[in-house]
Amino acid sequence: MRFDSRLILTLALIAACFIVLPLIVDLGSSTMNILILLFVYVILSQSWNLLGGYTGQINLGFAAYFGCGVLLTHLLWKSGIPIYLAITIGGLSAALLAGVIGLPTLHLRGAYFAIGTIALAEALRIVVGNVFPSSLSLPGSYASNFNVFPRYYLGFGIAVLTIVSAYGLVRSKFGLAMVCVRDDEEAAQVTGINTFKTKFIALLISAFLAGLAGGVYSFNRFYFHHISAVFEPIWTFEPLMAVVIGGSGTLIGPIIGSIFLIVLSEIFVQTLGEAHLIIFGILLIPVVLYSPSGLVGWIGWLRRVVGESTMNHD
Amino acid sequence: MFTQTIAYGILVGAMYGLITLGLGLLMGVMKFLNVAHGTFIVLGGYVSYWLFTHYGLNPYLSIPLVIVVMFVIGLVVYRVTLSPLLKLPNVGSRLNSSMLITFGIIYVVDNLMTIFWKPDVRSIVAPFTGRSMEFFGTKLSITGLCGFAVAIVIAVVLYLVLGRTQFGKHVRAATQDAEAASLCGINVHRTYLISSGIAIALAGIAGVIIVSSYSISPNSGLRWLLVAFVVMILAGEGNIHAIVPAGLILGLLEAVGVFIVGAPYRQVVALVIFIVILIFKPQGLFRKRRLTYG
Amino acid sequence: MLEASNINVFYGDIQALWNISLAIHGGEIVTFIGSNGAGKSTIMKTIAGLVKPKDGNIVFEGIRLDRLPAHKIVDLGISMVPEGRRLFPEMTVLENLEVGASTKAASRLRCATVNWIHELFPILKERSKQLAGTLSGGEQQMLAIGRALMAQPKLLLIDEMSLGLSPIVVERILQAIQDVNRKKKLPIALVEQDVGIALSVADRGYIIEHGRIVAEGETKVLQSDGRLMEAYLGVNLRKKVG
Repeated sequence: MRFDSRLILTLALIAACFIVLPLIVDLGSSTMNILILLFVYVILSQSWNLLGGYTGQINLGFAAYFGCGVLLTHLLWKSGIPIYLAITIGGLSAALLAGVIGLPTLHLRGAYFAIGTIALAEALRIVVGNVFPSSLSLPGSYASNFNVFPRYYLGFGIAVLTIVSAYGLVRSKFGLAMVCVRDDEEAAQVTGINTFKTKFIALLISAFLAGLAGGVYSFNRFYFHHISAVFEPIWTFEPLMAVVIGGSGTLIGPIIGSIFLIVLSEIFVQTLGEAHLIIFGILLIPVVLYSPSGLVGWIGWLRRVVGESTMNHD
Repeated sequence: MFTQTIAYGILVGAMYGLITLGLGLLMGVMKFLNVAHGTFIVLGGYVSYWLFTHYGLNPYLSIPLVIVVMFVIGLVVYRVTLSPLLKLPNVGSRLNSSMLITFGIIYVVDNLMTIFWKPDVRSIVAPFTGRSMEFFGTKLSITGLCGFAVAIVIAVVLYLVLGRTQFGKHVRAATQDAEAASLCGINVHRTYLISSGIAIALAGIAGVIIVSSYSISPNSGLRWLLVAFVVMILAGEGNIHAIVPAGLILGLLEAVGVFIVGAPYRQVVALVIFIVILIFKPQGLFRKRRLTYG
Repeated sequence: MLEASNINVFYGDIQALWNISLAIHGGEIVTFIGSNGAGKSTIMKTIAGLVKPKDGNIVFEGIRLDRLPAHKIVDLGISMVPEGRRLFPEMTVLENLEVGASTKAASRLRCATVNWIHELFPILKERSKQLAGTLSGGEQQMLAIGRALMAQPKLLLIDEMSLGLSPIVVERILQAIQDVNRKKKLPIALVEQDVGIALSVADRGYIIEHGRIVAEGETKVLQSDGRLMEAYLGVNLRKKVG
């Protein structure tokens, strides 16, 4: 992304839309909820992308960090801690969880790392299900003060924070190390990069952000029938899908993918219910096989084609 | 009481080994990680269940049919989703892509199964279900014994196929050096295709055992996938023949662990075993051998 | 028997072979010599089907090879001993040989062919049950050649046989190769770094430089052209003799 003024202007305009629109137009609570969910997905997919798309660590147990954030934010907020603090602690605890259970898995290469993450996430889901078998809800006083706006803006703020941090991280020296580890871990080691430290820090950062996403999600919900549901693999699958379809290893890919995901979900859930996941699964396969750079790749291709024809025009 | 535990551990352990064979084969031969392995196990279970409820076919007798059905499914899965990955130059990206693709397959197949068979839990309840036989004072469940027998038979068959048949030699050659194998006249793609069919068929057989001994539901695949993962790590990379022994070890460790801490903590025991292995012996308990004989 | 016309081969965007045309006739030993990276191995790999040419064609006994996969080319009768031997390290010596006869035609003759290879290289019979990865360099080369011969080829390609082997072993192997060539009238294409070896054994030769054929002809003729030898191969024959 070059720092050309047109790009900055476009981004600022989009951001302004998100900020101003709900104030001047009544979007209705269901649209607001969808947008908040969009923010959650953007945060989740950006953070998965940092670990998977940029550092090459395919984490299939990402739901654990999200769930951790959801659970802790809910419990802390319920006990009176202000929501901003609760969410932050939720994020930090997700990072702590990743650090502790991630440590033994980081020695494992590729397949075994993925296996380790999925196993640990599933174990966590079972444990949480046993510890909190019944439903969790917030006391009535919280419900009466309900206002969707702080939730919306908090979600938007954290999403923007995530994107900006990702941008900064990717552009930094550490970002370079991440990409080196992804492309060829042995070669990276030989050039003096501490690959273990790189992977570990990437894991911590992405888990922290996933925990924040959990906090945003938790903020917007009062009732959890089975809290273990937020630890289910679907919370890994959907950000993963967003990243792969949008374009992994790019900053804009997860955003486009998340939008695509939410739009498709909304269209299909009406008609198909749970079966909409079948469509997603089927979509995932050709994208991985034939278009690994996802939608971003398509847009790039389009731009080149259009650019060439405008050049010929001159 | 202790012999009961040991016996139980052995029976369950053999089943754990059987569950893992298909996953290990695909991983060892093609370096593909099939995260949807558990889903295929459940699918095999559903096929057997369907045959049982519609035709009264004894699940153990349904195994040949399940093998055929799942083998064909395996061929299709390979052809459509996995074979394009072989064009990727780098083993790491093949592995990653296979994980992503099979992760997608989970959602497709799980939800298809939910549509056809509803989300209820199913199991085969036959005259022998829940009954046991007594051997020198220890009770062994009939389903457990049958599962053990099937596991041993399949393991032996696999050993013989890989070691004594021409096809087995083709598989081993393609595993060790695919390009050199094609220089010997081996059609490596066809070898991979058939191996994929076999791997999915193995998952199906495991599913038959599970639906007879336990139960299945459309989303229960993950649980068996995790067992298979742990056994695969225990056995070590590419060690197909160490899989059933590794399963036995896991079964015994789990049984003894539960004996000590009590049944409600079964999952914690499994998790602890898993973490301990990851920390101390991530390369597995067995010496590294790639489908070796002689 | 085998004819290649106007072959252009690319590795990605980099051109490795430029307009190569060559022929191999029945019963002869042909050698490809040239400096490192000249493209000799690429020619072998292209004929064997591991690499596909962008243009041009290769015809063997009337059948076009350049669009066929490697295993079909083995079926048609061309067998290659690859550079670096590429044995199956965790299969036994005997199994490596057996696997060499994987085509339908060869598998029918497997037992007889194994006996032939055991006669040719008796050490392989001794080491039958040993894992191929545990053999010495020379034994591995013998096994690699034996494995390629198990396919009962009509044309044998050998890529860099002498690398890393002691002169005595090389001599032994060369004798076996010449033996096979004479007794079975099997044409052999030999890629060699060592010019002396190559010219001592071959009937004809091609000199490859930067992916192009810069000279070809009978080895006697090539050898006698001192300027050729020196210019392309850095071989000063006067110094060698003296």
